[in-house]
Amino acid sequence: MISSLSPQLLIKPNTATTLSPIPHVQNQRFKLASHVCPSELLSIRKRPGSACAATTQHRRYLLFPAEEEEEEEREVKFTSDAPALAEGLQREPMPRHVAVIMDGNRRWAHLRGLPVRSGYEAGVKSLKTLVELCCKWGIRVLTVFAFSSDNWFRPEVEVEFLMSLLETGVKEETESFIRERIRISVIGDTSKLPKCLEELVINVVETTKNNTRFQLIVAVSYSGQYDLVQACQRIAMKVKDGLIEPNDVSESLIEQELETNCTEFPYPDLLIRTSGELRISNFMLWQLAYTELFFSQSLWPDFGEAEFLEALKSFQQRCRHYGK
Amino acid sequence: MDFRDTMQKVYSWACQIGNLGLWIIWLLIHFAVDLWYFALHIACAIESYLISSGILKRYKALDIDKLRYLAIVIESEEAYHIPAVIQLLQWLVDIGVKHVCLYDAEGILKKSKESILGKLNNATLFEEAGESNLLLDHKHITLEFASFPDGKEAVAKAANLLFMKYVKLGGSGKIQEEKIFTEAHMSEALRAVGCKGPEPDLLLVYGPVRCHLGFPAWRIRYTEIVHMGRLKSMRYGSLLKAIYKFTMVRQNYGKSSFNYILLLQVVPHVLLKRYERTRDLDRKNESVT
Repeated sequence: MISSLSPQLLIKPNTATTLSPIPHVQNQRFKLASHVCPSELLSIRKRPGSACAATTQHRRYLLFPAEEEEEEEREVKFTSDAPALAEGLQREPMPRHVAVIMDGNRRWAHLRGLPVRSGYEAGVKSLKTLVELCCKWGIRVLTVFAFSSDNWFRPEVEVEFLMSLLETGVKEETESFIRERIRISVIGDTSKLPKCLEELVINVVETTKNNTRFQLIVAVSYSGQYDLVQACQRIAMKVKDGLIEPNDVSESLIEQELETNCTEFPYPDLLIRTSGELRISNFMLWQLAYTELFFSQSLWPDFGEAEFLEALKSFQQRCRHYGK
Repeated sequence: MDFRDTMQKVYSWACQIGNLGLWIIWLLIHFAVDLWYFALHIACAIESYLISSGILKRYKALDIDKLRYLAIVIESEEAYHIPAVIQLLQWLVDIGVKHVCLYDAEGILKKSKESILGKLNNATLFEEAGESNLLLDHKHITLEFASFPDGKEAVAKAANLLFMKYVKLGGSGKIQEEKIFTEAHMSEALRAVGCKGPEPDLLLVYGPVRCHLGFPAWRIRYTEIVHMGRLKSMRYGSLLKAIYKFTMVRQNYGKSSFNYILLLQVVPHVLLKRYERTRDLDRKNESVT
């Protein structure tokens, strides 16, 4: 864990906290029109040496007295339902959309001498943990790469098993999604799924479409190239219907038709891939242009709170560096 | 009153000493963290030196043929340091890399194409190189220069090409969108609009951020992506290590090699599921009749 720490992240002892609104400073990475800028964010600043603010005597020991006066003049805003964050994590910048490539289930099972299905089942538990953490820490969207279009080339027996696992998972968790106000979206070529699973997916997407607390996007039978091609197919239908001219087709039009447009934040701020592999494997190719990439050495069933915290801290560190 | 004043003074002193103590602990923790990072930095520098000098023998047995196409992404502000870029390319030539795509979002490297090609011996543009030249000369390198418009903009142009074809053939009434718009057709259309480069096997990112900065997305499906840090702190040893690690990687590309152990583990579960599904269907049919 110490390798993930840095001076900026350690919270100094006995510090006073001032809250000030900071208008969003557009990150250089997002200067192109295709990216949406986040709205105004809240910043918590911790400064050293300040003791209890109750007595003026202690103000002598502040290291930054001039700044303290400036802070007092500023209007303080505070949001009453701000989520509780883990130690060392700052509220800003927090990714709004996190994408995960859940790799390493089979290797995890092999290493423990367990059947492969145990690896996938343990992977489902990791996913549940991650969803809970995202809800807790105010991350709005989580996209998970559950099944790639390349995975159809796996042995039929394995594919059937994965489909049944998905079916069981969706059935068992539907009530929980409704209770927790989690919206479920599914992206990918669902026409290739078994009929019963396809119907189940349509049902859960429809049932949860009005939930606003958190959105879980599950990519099934998905590939980045497929997403682009289906966007072009949709635009072609509009061209055929005379709604748009062929020459009017632009990047922004393509973006609007991508399957990831089912969310308010279609571009992931952070991509995590587990198991130590260093590639994106045909996942959200268009959307990942300015996404921070974090490659974790843990296998997916081992990816828990500590590992997620490491990824988020790493994201926050890099954001601060790039903003300067 | 005196007693109260005394207690207040004692309390005040205790607070100050406590604050000082905490402040010292905080400084010590930060010192420890700084020391750790310093030690890591030294270790990386030593490792890089050992690799560069050939002391670590395993890096000598580098199977460079596995790396057919390399992409280098450089953050635009750092792309202005052309001498550093030329040095990097020289190292790649020494390692034996044959084909390199240089990318920066703002096209600074594209504008400096002539000076880069001029400074390197035996370097030609990827578009101009013929296969026969490449096979004869081991120290030859081809360079492709790309920028942000070669990514999303190029996809939009390729899509436009397909739309024009679609509109032309649409009159027959038999053409469906799925037949015109496929991944293969998109790849073809991208080549037609000038994006002829193949998919890189490895992509090295030089800059402060760990993202590919808009490198042509269509081409990086299975590309290994490695962040190398800032261009100004680049090291030959780190470069060689990254390439060596790539040559040791085995990719499944989403598929898996069939294995009998998996079959034995998974088949009973699948058979059970099939039985349950058939039983449910039979029950439904019975209730209907």
